[in-house]
Parts: sequence; C-alpha cells; structure tokens
Amino acid sequence: MRWVENNFFDHLDKFANSLGYDNYEIAIPLAMVPWESPEDRDIFILTITGNEVQGGSPDTFRAAEVK
Amino acid sequence: MTTAPENRGGDRPTASQNNPANISATGGAGGKGTQAPKYIPGMKSLGSTGVETMAQQGGAALAGDPVPPVQAPTNPMESMMAGLTALDAESMDNLPISDGVDIGRGRGSSALPARLTSPINQDENIALIKRYLPDLMNATRLPGAPDSYKQFINYLKNLIL
Repeated sequence: MRWVENNFFDHLDKFANSLGYDNYEIAIPLAMVPWESPEDRDIFILTITGNEVQGGSPDTFRAAEVK
Repeated sequence: MTTAPENRGGDRPTASQNNPANISATGGAGGKGTQAPKYIPGMKSLGSTGVETMAQQGGAALAGDPVPPVQAPTNPMESMMAGLTALDAESMDNLPISDGVDIGRGRGSSALPARLTSPINQDENIALIKRYLPDLMNATRLPGAPDSYKQFINYLKNLIL
C-alpha cells in the first residue's frame, strides 16, 4: 500500500496545509468530503483561500512509485 | 362676368402638392445632421419622451444635436463596492453577511439558533483525533507520504499530548 491521491489522507494533507494547522477542526470534515477529483478539491481550496494549494504535490507520489 | 378660378389654398387638384412632377423619386436629402436644435418660445413641456430617454441613456447622437449625448455611467455597483470584501456585504436584512460568524462584522456565533451550531465542541474534537490518531500516523509510513502530511500529524500529536 502506498500514498495515493484523492483519498481522505491526501485531502487532509491539502486542507490542513492550505487552511493552516490551527484550522484542523475545519480541515478534518472537509477531508471527509468525497471530492469528485483532486482538481475539484483544489479549485475549492483556491476559491476559499485565494492562494495556491499547499501540501504534497503529485510529483511526490510518482517519485515514490519509481522507487 | 366670369371670375378667374381660385388658385389659393385648399386641397385643389391643381395644387402643387398634388402635382406628381413635384415628388422627388429619390426622397429628401434630410437634415444632414447639421440642423441646430431650435428653441420654440412658449412650447409646453412634453415631459420625458422616448427620444429624450434614449439620449439620457447614451444612445446614438441625434441628427443636428450639437451636444454629445451624456455617457451612461458604468456599473455603479463597482464604485460602490470598491474596497469591500465579501464579508462586508450587507444582506437583505441590512445585516452584515458575516452576521452569525465569529469573524467580521455583526454578531458572533452566539446569535445562531442552537440547532445550527456545531454539535462538536473542542473536547469532542480532541477525542476524535485521539481515537483516529493511530490510523493517521500509520498513513505517514506509507511510501510517498508527503512531508507536509507528516508535519501536520506531528502537530496533531503534540496537540493532544
């Protein structure tokens, strides 16, 4: 089992790092939302924060696959 | 005594307006846009006519009108909303849109009905994190788990310990 995109842990990583750790109470329920795709989730984050999505990038996951 | 036929006034068959030779085949030349508006003394105001309304709305220049039409202002909301954020906007009840939220203007979350407030308080949040922290920590060991996720889990771990 490896880290994959578009599951609860990936969502939690993006929301916690984009909204700030102090807002974990918001990040956790948002991570539970069954997002249609990572792009939909990222657009949501971009809309509410006005900033680029923070957190691990897909490159991180692909690098792990190669290894 | 015979009198000459009357050739003045009236709609006579021999009147010039009834002579087909006097009708232009190509129509009139029009005002060519150079006719100045005329002031008619004592003329009763007709109020706002369609022409006037069009001029007020920045319509096309009227023929012979030396005054350019007044440009209709652009969206007035843009100037009115300048410098405001979404949280500053007023709702239809003249309450700030942030009314009921603990940030921005208006009342805080204490103004909300009890059924709208989150049933999860701080203690319950901590309990929830404690319960699922082992699973969250296990995910940090997955190949490819980003450092940003590991740092957040460390933050949660320090929060509850």
